[in-house]
Amino acid sequence: MAGIQLVGVNKRYGGTEIIPEFNLEIESGEFLVFLGPSGCGKSTLLRMIAGLEPVSAGQIRIGGQDVTASAPGERDLAMVFQHYALYPHMTVRENMAFGLRNVNVPAAEIDRRITEAARMLELEGMLARKPIQLSGGQRQRVAIGRAVVKEPGAFLFDEPLSNLDAALRNRTRVELARLHQRLKTTMVFVTHDQVEAMTLASRIVVMNRGRIEQMGTPIEIYRKPATRFVAGFIGSPAMNFIDAIPVAAEADCIKVRLADGTELQTGVPTQAARKDAKLVAGVRAESLTLDDASPVRGRADVIERLGERTLVYVTLSNGHSVVAQAHRESPVASGDLVGLHFEPEHVHLFDEAGLAWHAA
Amino acid sequence: MSARQHAGRRMGDHLILAAVMVLALLWIAPLAWVFALSFKPNAFLAQHTDVVLGAPYTLKNYTDILGTSSVFRWIANSCIVSVTQTLLTLVLCSLAGYGFARTAFPGQKALYVFVLAGLAVPEQAVVIPLHRLFADLDLHNTYSGLILPRLAAPFGVFLMTQYFKAIPKDIEEAALLDSTPRWKIFLRIVLPLSIPAQATLGIFTFLTAWNDYLWPLISASKPDMYTLTLGLAATQSNFAQSEGIGYLMAQAVFAGLPIFVIYLFFQKHIVSAVAGTTVR
Amino acid sequence: MCICLMKPGLPGMPHKGAAMTTTLSALPAAARASSQPKVKGVQHWSNALFVLPFVLVYIALLVVPVVTGLWLSLNDVDVLSGDRAFIGLANFARLWHDDIFRGAIRNTFLFVLMTTPAFVALGLALALALNRQDRVGTALRTIFFGSSVLSVTIVTLVWRLVFMTDKGLLANVMHSLGLASINPLTSSALALPAIALVTVWWIIGLPMMLFLAALQQIPEEIYEAAAMDNAGRWRTFWSITLPQLRKTVALVAIIEVILQFQLFGQAQLMTNGGPNNSSRPLVQFIYEAGFQQWALGYSAAAAQVLFGLMLIGVALQMWISKRGQTQSGEST
Repeated sequence: MAGIQLVGVNKRYGGTEIIPEFNLEIESGEFLVFLGPSGCGKSTLLRMIAGLEPVSAGQIRIGGQDVTASAPGERDLAMVFQHYALYPHMTVRENMAFGLRNVNVPAAEIDRRITEAARMLELEGMLARKPIQLSGGQRQRVAIGRAVVKEPGAFLFDEPLSNLDAALRNRTRVELARLHQRLKTTMVFVTHDQVEAMTLASRIVVMNRGRIEQMGTPIEIYRKPATRFVAGFIGSPAMNFIDAIPVAAEADCIKVRLADGTELQTGVPTQAARKDAKLVAGVRAESLTLDDASPVRGRADVIERLGERTLVYVTLSNGHSVVAQAHRESPVASGDLVGLHFEPEHVHLFDEAGLAWHAA
Repeated sequence: MSARQHAGRRMGDHLILAAVMVLALLWIAPLAWVFALSFKPNAFLAQHTDVVLGAPYTLKNYTDILGTSSVFRWIANSCIVSVTQTLLTLVLCSLAGYGFARTAFPGQKALYVFVLAGLAVPEQAVVIPLHRLFADLDLHNTYSGLILPRLAAPFGVFLMTQYFKAIPKDIEEAALLDSTPRWKIFLRIVLPLSIPAQATLGIFTFLTAWNDYLWPLISASKPDMYTLTLGLAATQSNFAQSEGIGYLMAQAVFAGLPIFVIYLFFQKHIVSAVAGTTVR
Repeated sequence: MCICLMKPGLPGMPHKGAAMTTTLSALPAAARASSQPKVKGVQHWSNALFVLPFVLVYIALLVVPVVTGLWLSLNDVDVLSGDRAFIGLANFARLWHDDIFRGAIRNTFLFVLMTTPAFVALGLALALALNRQDRVGTALRTIFFGSSVLSVTIVTLVWRLVFMTDKGLLANVMHSLGLASINPLTSSALALPAIALVTVWWIIGLPMMLFLAALQQIPEEIYEAAAMDNAGRWRTFWSITLPQLRKTVALVAIIEVILQFQLFGQAQLMTNGGPNNSSRPLVQFIYEAGFQQWALGYSAAAAQVLFGLMLIGVALQMWISKRGQTQSGEST
């Protein structure tokens, strides 16, 4: 088990800076997820930790040791690749044994580890098969098994679930969570899928354009997104954003006028926010409910009944479209005129720089 | 599409296929004719070459080949030259292909362009300097003399480089994380994965070496050092005076049949090797 | 198919050999090194050992001979005495006035003009007819490709027997049709066409296979859409298939031009350039000048002419395949 520190890590390709100075401390035993859209630098970062990508500047420490100049094999890491990267000409057993033989682990110990990993990952009947004879889910488990037998200081995962179908992805997600509980080894996981990040991570690092947008537990990031980017990236359906102008502050909290002309009382403390002329109000569907008494009105055009709840797409009088949540058996129908109730304590405000202000 | 149109199209398909079949018969007619007549006595052939089926039959033309000619020596030479050239080409091109595709060293890109430029050089442009060079080294009429020149052809390097580039990189990265040294990655991971390309390059090199004509004609002047291809040319040179038509025909069959049988066995590989490699 | 010989290089790419071996923490700014967009690990001299064996052979047996050949073409070389004299472009001037050489050039071009259209048209026709996944298709493809694996000496032996005066297969057929038999190899009008015919017979398999590979790249849905649009056989061919094959047609044509420019064995073995020099190709001229008359400088000069013609062909080939790539964006 080992913690990982990135100190002033920087990555450039030619003249372009992919990752500006990057500092992060990954604690021993934590499940850390790098989350971000494709091209945000999260995979590059993981590959730099693995030693597969040279670092342009800065230092990487694993378990307190400076490994910046070490070869990938010397870093006490195991990695699960996006396309698994199994050796196609070797059997499952050989795939798992290869890395151990390279560092002269005794044969008996290799056998012990493979047997244990095979039992844990339900690969017992497949040790003599070649990767091509396995299904996608089985290959995935072999890739994980190949990492597990190395008993590394930390695991690295590069979007390992993106090639599985939806059902298998859910199952493997749960298996990975179990694996982490059982091994308690540091895991660093890269994904663009917010559901994977929310469910697996003890801590999420949301990245955009090579920079950290926000770092925190899944609930912190969901409840209090630090920026408009994070707010829009996390959560499904995506957060509603409505242009807003602050009007004379009443009591302690900011009041804004929404783009359709109605006024909205938020829970954001007045003294917290900068006095920008233009703001954006953000509210998730779950905090935007149907209420015929509300002055904010619009026409429901699409109704999505998901079973446990109902999503209502509402077009406001100014043409702006938002999505609200209704009870699962709500009688609302397409074409209805509806009122929308904002829960003031769940309304976020974003200033022109994209920074967020939350209710106290 | 109406039923009538459909039927018309079906008819057309059949007509086209029939025409191609007739063409195919014309295509194999020369080979079939030579094959059939090679089993007839020379005396009979001096009178008739239009009677293909029916008696008389003889194997004498073939026993004559076995008994009198140097054909076995030539076959042995062809085997030695083709096999050695193939193995050496595979070794050189695999190493170079890996070096260009999967490693980095200063000047690599320029060197690769420099090597690929050799693809544009036709064999005929270098035979005269090569002949002089090999004369100076006293290598004419030796196996080395027959084998060496084609080892310089950059095509195999191009093929292997392209192939190595297409092997997913993460497999090599997984090996790096498995503490595998560079030479072991090449031998244990990359080389086994490149077997299809090795087969293609191997077949192509073997066929080219086996059928090569110009360089052996220039380099091997002693009949003892002829390859089969060259030896067959020598027996044709007194074609006009030859009364033994059946003997010539038997020679053509004898020389062509082995390679043709190999073709039937490895057809898929050979087709992809030849078709895939001519487009250099 | 893949022709990617001359992908544009990355401009101004620096070589930083020691990027990884430096510990960066102490002096980050000084140690900062840019790396290639496609990182292949660390640049290191020792990696060049992989390519060294081939490169040595390549330089010794190809690069040096090319340069020597160029030099020889500017010299008058006497093989017996070993004397050599620099004579500038005199060999080329002599070639210009040499009727045999001019004839050889003419024959070579004629031969290319005869064979290339045949290879393209017949190869395409066969590919269209045999683009089927059944046993009949496989068997017929085997036949048409099969002759390609035979060596030139077997092919010429078979066809000299076929063309034999009075007793050959051709003579037999003409007799049975009541026609007077001829041996085309003894006629100055027919020798070169006969060699062209044999060459097409020999290696029609190659263009056929190239066209087949290209045909299989055309998505089946396009044909299904065309069928829904009531396109007949010819309409489908002209409006769907041929436009999709445009690049392949150009490529096959130029490949055949390059290959057929190197005509040698068939002509040398079947007619030895005759009758009356009517079928002597350029390569045979080079061979005879170099290895029968031992006029090495003169022969080398003729070889440079061939080299130049081939370079034009190769340049065209690359231009076409590159243009096709940028135009259609298809990966080849």
